Amino acid sequence: MQPQDHEQFAHTLLPETTADEFSRQEFVKSYKLHLASQVSPNTKVVYDKQVRPAFEKEHGRAPKNRHEIRKAMNGNNHYQTWSSLQRTSQEMMWKSCQGPVERQLDTLIAESNKKISAKSAGGTLKLDPELEIPRYLTAVDIHCQPGGYHTEVAKDDVASGAIFERAVYIYAMGQLGPMNDDIGGSTIEYLKSTRPDFAPKRILELGCSTGNSIVPYKDAYPDAELYAVDVAAPMLRYAHARCESLGVPVHLSQQNAEHMDFEDGSFDLIVSHILIHETSTTAFRNIMKETHRLLTPGGVAVHVETPAYKGMDAYDAFILDWDTYNNNEPFWSKSHEIDPPSAAKEAGFDPEKTFEAMAPSAYEAAKAKRTNVFQGGDFGGGGFWYLYGFEK
Amino acid sequence: MPSDANASGAKLPKHSKGVRPQFFNDPTSDKLLAMVMALAGEVSVIRDRNDTLERLIDAKGLIEKSEIESYRPSKEVIAERDAWRQEYLSHILRIVDLDAEDMGRNDVSKEWQEVMDSV
Repeated sequence: MQPQDHEQFAHTLLPETTADEFSRQEFVKSYKLHLASQVSPNTKVVYDKQVRPAFEKEHGRAPKNRHEIRKAMNGNNHYQTWSSLQRTSQEMMWKSCQGPVERQLDTLIAESNKKISAKSAGGTLKLDPELEIPRYLTAVDIHCQPGGYHTEVAKDDVASGAIFERAVYIYAMGQLGPMNDDIGGSTIEYLKSTRPDFAPKRILELGCSTGNSIVPYKDAYPDAELYAVDVAAPMLRYAHARCESLGVPVHLSQQNAEHMDFEDGSFDLIVSHILIHETSTTAFRNIMKETHRLLTPGGVAVHVETPAYKGMDAYDAFILDWDTYNNNEPFWSKSHEIDPPSAAKEAGFDPEKTFEAMAPSAYEAAKAKRTNVFQGGDFGGGGFWYLYGFEK
Repeated sequence: MPSDANASGAKLPKHSKGVRPQFFNDPTSDKLLAMVMALAGEVSVIRDRNDTLERLIDAKGLIEKSEIESYRPSKEVIAERDAWRQEYLSHILRIVDLDAEDMGRNDVSKEWQEVMDSV
C-alpha cells in the first residue's frame, strides 16, 4: 500500500499515489489552507481600509450589495492576486488528482467491475446510456473539474468518481472527515435532534456523486432502504463499488432528479447534499415538484447548501459568491437567493411546514482547523451547513 | 510504486470547459502567478522526498551527511535526471499548454452566457 493521507479512509477504490503524487496533493491542501486562513483575511482588510473608503468617497454611500462590492474589488490588485491564486489552486487540485487516476485507470475499472459483479453488500446499479445530460452540466465543467462529472474516456469508466473523491477531500482540506461524509452526517444529526421519532423506511438521495453522503444514513437508520440517483455514469459506477466495498447496500440509478421513474409516494425522506447550486432555476422547480410527488404523506425533503445570502453581510456574500464568476458555478449566485417558503408553495408543499436551519458540522475533529468563515475556496470551513426542507 | 495500468492509453481531459477569468490587467501576470505556484508545489514535493531520505538514512545510520555533499552523478543518473526534468517542466508550464489546447476549441463564452441566462 502506498502512502495515503492518513486521515482519509483508504477503501479499495481510492487510487494509490506515488510518494511524489501524494506530496503534490499535500501541497495543494496546504496551499488552499494558507489562502483561506492567511491571505483571505487580508482581502477583507484591504476592502475595509482601501476599497470601501474609496467607494464611499466616490458615491457618498457604502456599497449596497455584493455586486457593487465585486465591481469595486475587481480593480484591486490584492483581490486580483488572491483570486488568481485561488483559481490556480483549484486547477492544480484537479491536476494532482487526475494523474494517479489516469495512470491506474485499468486497475480502478477492473476493481470496480469486480465489486459490481460480486454484489456483496446487496446494493444495485442501473445505468441508462440514453439519459440526456442536462445542459447546465454539459455547457461548462462545474467547479473546473476537467470533463465534469459525466465525461467517459474508457469502457466502464470510473475516473471522474475516483478523481472527485480525492479532490473533494483536498478541496475541503479534510474538513469533511476521513469518509468525506460530514454533509450527510450533519444532516442526520439535525434530523435526529429535531425529529427523534422519525424512522424513514425508504430514503432517496438526489445527485449522489460518489455516494459519500448517503453512506452514513445506513448507520443512522439501519432499517431503511437506501436509494440514490445521479446523471453521471462514471460517478455511479464508482459510488456503487465504493458502497459495496464499505458494506452499505444502496440502490443506485442513472436518473435526472427532475424526472425519475419511481412511483408516487415512494420515499419518507429525500435528501440532497450540495446539489441544488449545480442545477438551474428550471431544474430546481422540477426537482421540487418531483420531490413532492415522490414523498409519502408526512415525508420530509432536505436540501443542504452553504448559507443563503438573505440577511448576510454584503462583504461575506461577495466573498462566498466568488465561485459563481471564477470557479465555473453559474447557478451558485441565484441558488443562494432561493426562498424556501415560496418554493414550497409553488411545488404544492405547505409553506408553514417549511424549515431552514444552520446545522453544526458533525465532524468535530476539524473544529480547530476551521476558519469559521464561508468563503470562496473554503466551503467546509464554516463549521455549519445551511439546510432547508419541506414536509408533505 | 504502483504499476501503471492504463493499457488503452485513455486520456482524461485536462482543461475544464468554461471561460478562465483574467484577474490582472495583463494576462501574462495570471500565467506567471500560476507558474510560480506550480513551481512552489514541485519544490515542496522535492523537499518532502529529501526529508524522507534524510530521515531514513539517519534512522538506519547508513551514511554521513557529508557524503551527500560530495556525491557526483554518473552518466546513467544524469540521463534519468534529464528525463525527470522534462516531466517536471510540463507541470510548471501547464498554463502555457492551455493556450494551444484552446485554439482547437470553439468559442465557449457564448455557451457560458447562455447557461448564465437560462439557469
